Amino acid sequence: MSATAFYEPYKLPAGILALVVHSVFFALLYFGFNWNRQPFSNPAMTVELWSSLPEDAVRLPATPKIEVAVPPPPQEKIAKPDIVMPEKKKPAAKPVETKPEKTKPVQKAVEAVKPRPDAKTPAAQSAEARIANQQAAQHQAAQARQDELDAANGRVVDEFRAKINAKIRRNVVNPPGVDKDARAEFMVTLLPGGAVLKADLVKSSGNAAYDDAVERAILKSDPLPVPQDALLFNRFRQLDLVFKPEQPAE
Amino acid sequence: MEVTQDLSFVHLIGNASVLVQLVMGLLLFVSLMSWWYIFLKMFAIRDEVRLTEEFEDAFWHNQNLNELYRYANSSSLRNQGAMERIFAAGFVEFVKLKKQNGVDASAVMEGTRRAMRATYQREMDRLESHLAFLASVGSVSPYVGLFGTVWGIMNAFRGLANVGQATLAHVAPGIAEALVATAMGLFAAIPAVVAYNRYAHEINRLSTRFDSFTEEFSNVLQRQP
Repeated sequence: MSATAFYEPYKLPAGILALVVHSVFFALLYFGFNWNRQPFSNPAMTVELWSSLPEDAVRLPATPKIEVAVPPPPQEKIAKPDIVMPEKKKPAAKPVETKPEKTKPVQKAVEAVKPRPDAKTPAAQSAEARIANQQAAQHQAAQARQDELDAANGRVVDEFRAKINAKIRRNVVNPPGVDKDARAEFMVTLLPGGAVLKADLVKSSGNAAYDDAVERAILKSDPLPVPQDALLFNRFRQLDLVFKPEQPAE
Repeated sequence: MEVTQDLSFVHLIGNASVLVQLVMGLLLFVSLMSWWYIFLKMFAIRDEVRLTEEFEDAFWHNQNLNELYRYANSSSLRNQGAMERIFAAGFVEFVKLKKQNGVDASAVMEGTRRAMRATYQREMDRLESHLAFLASVGSVSPYVGLFGTVWGIMNAFRGLANVGQATLAHVAPGIAEALVATAMGLFAAIPAVVAYNRYAHEINRLSTRFDSFTEEFSNVLQRQP
């Protein structure tokens, strides 16, 4: 018997079995579980409840209706009573404008019946008053348009503030043991484009861990959503933000 | 680096770098070889144990050594166990030495034992063949897989350097495909280690049985007239 060439009768079955083991293993890997990641919906998209911004921004200045008898309710919410006041005056001004027009035909009829020399002066007066009224109305309309623009801008500002708040709040990891009524106030300085320059603690919540968590969240939320408009952005350079745990800030 | 959403198995291997693919190919080959040897040794050792038991049974029930030798020689190569060969080698040597005149009893026994020892060692060599390969696979293939993984992760991070905003999505596919190499290394190593330990143990037991048989058979031969 030769020692070098061993008699090994099982070479073929062993080889086949080895192949079977591997193919079974790879089949298990291939069919065993789902390798494809499910395209999950972005949580940021589902949480966002704010109406789309550009629509409002475009629509509002484009509709400068003269008879805005019903000022949109958001305008009342925007805390600018001194500017809203002339707007309220405007419906009152309109009847003033229409009145002379109504009286004019009557006066004309009077003029036709009685061509008095002194009757010319009321007519001229009424015409002057009418022009003045028209100018005032135009001015008021322009004023109203400006107000609405301001109001729209105010709404845009509010919307962006809300977005900023929402974005930061999403990133806040509440440390354990924070009071429900803790309030952390931050002064956030932004650069154009939304980059956070610095976030200063203005008023501590009394819980250093919560202050830190909010600060981290602010820095983590970089860049914050800010309007592209440079004029509007000026209102975002310095942001005073108040944060409370679990509740919507502000 | 291209960021893909598709993390299917084939995709992962196909997208890996060439070196990682080479490592994977090597590991696949090694794994195939080790499984082949595992089955080969499994059948061989199972047969060896069966033949040893059969021969021991025949040896202790049949005291006629000539008949036993005829029986051992007549069986085919496949049905001839290591113990039968040891017996045959010892018996042939013993008979040869006995026929020569002038050789004393101790010299006869010594020659017989030497012959049995030689056959025993040859048989052990046959039984232990390929076991070294299993041991090497078990100890080395995790490292080979790890090498592939390290290389793949290095590539993944190198690709990341060119991306400004680094997200997990940029690195994850690269790391996943690199980790396939480690998985394959472990897949090759674990069965090899288990098989090596088990077979080493069984061969050790067989070797003890052969040793005791050699001693006992020497005693039987010494009692021969």
